[in-house]
Amino acid sequence: MSALPMTLNTTAETETAKIARGLRERDMELLADLVERCQHRLVRYLLYLTGRREYAEDLAQETWIRVLQRGSQYNGRQRFDPWLFAIARNLAIDYLRKNRKAVQTVSLPDDHDAVLLLPSSGPSPFEAAARSQDAMHLAGRLQILAPLYREALLLRFQEDMSLPEIAQVVGAPVTTVSSRIYRGLAALRSAFEEGDSHGG
Amino acid sequence: MEGDKRFRELIDRSFAEEISEGERQLIRDHIRDCDGCKHYVELTARTIRGLREFTFVSGADSNAQVREILARHTETMRQHNVQFKVWAAFAVALSMSIVGSALVYQMAKLLTVPTHFDTAQVQAGVLVFWLLPSFCSALCLLAAPGENRGIA
Repeated sequence: MSALPMTLNTTAETETAKIARGLRERDMELLADLVERCQHRLVRYLLYLTGRREYAEDLAQETWIRVLQRGSQYNGRQRFDPWLFAIARNLAIDYLRKNRKAVQTVSLPDDHDAVLLLPSSGPSPFEAAARSQDAMHLAGRLQILAPLYREALLLRFQEDMSLPEIAQVVGAPVTTVSSRIYRGLAALRSAFEEGDSHGG
Repeated sequence: MEGDKRFRELIDRSFAEEISEGERQLIRDHIRDCDGCKHYVELTARTIRGLREFTFVSGADSNAQVREILARHTETMRQHNVQFKVWAAFAVALSMSIVGSALVYQMAKLLTVPTHFDTAQVQAGVLVFWLLPSFCSALCLLAAPGENRGIA
């Protein structure tokens, strides 16, 4: 019974070790493969973080350049995705700090300040991406939800990352991560609660 | 109400992280009798389902664009690397030719008396047969053809 998890674990280790070696050697084939696998999710993550499509695409490109330059720093002991997302996150935060005119600072209940891009005039990227009535219902809430909560929700429920992996990406303790997830869920859940109470 | 609050925290945990089978059973038993918490479970499940129903379509050429940028950067980094190596080799070759010439000159000076050469002849010999060839070899590293060229 215990042989299967061990096999899976060994396979995962081999995969990450292969990625680490490829990044050290700047193997273009491996990089192209990683882009194919992760670009879409990277853009989605940056979209959740910034709330703006145009910044997400640019920051994703910057992230890949950083991966190319600092690939030797990936040790292959953890999964690649959290490492990639952590790079993207640092770049996004730097970007938001440099562009103070485009952002506002909001205080969060867990004693953190979050920078939030001022909404653009067009339709929100979340509305554009909503594929169901419920998703459309959540889109408005997501747009105004603090990015720290948005990213915690995305990493947990769309990327299916574990809490320690999310903690690694966001550089915060696991308890903070779970508290962000619960608060984020509460904020989004209220969209349905209000809908239900309005509906009767 | 306090009991409900505790259960709702447990419900949140059950969606966000691993909980034990015992705790899961506790939730199941509780929501059988508590409509409020049952509704809470449904709303949370609906919220998470809704979150998974966003499909972001990335630009068709987005991946190709990134691959192209990476290929360009790799080429630039490779060229920088080659340039650095060639300049380093040049610096080593130059310093070795200077140090080597000084040593050869000192040795040749010792031989001037037994071989009846002038100091000027020794200097010319070291210059023509040692210093100039080694200096030219160092310069050749900088002017090497193709990707080994050190001069941009």
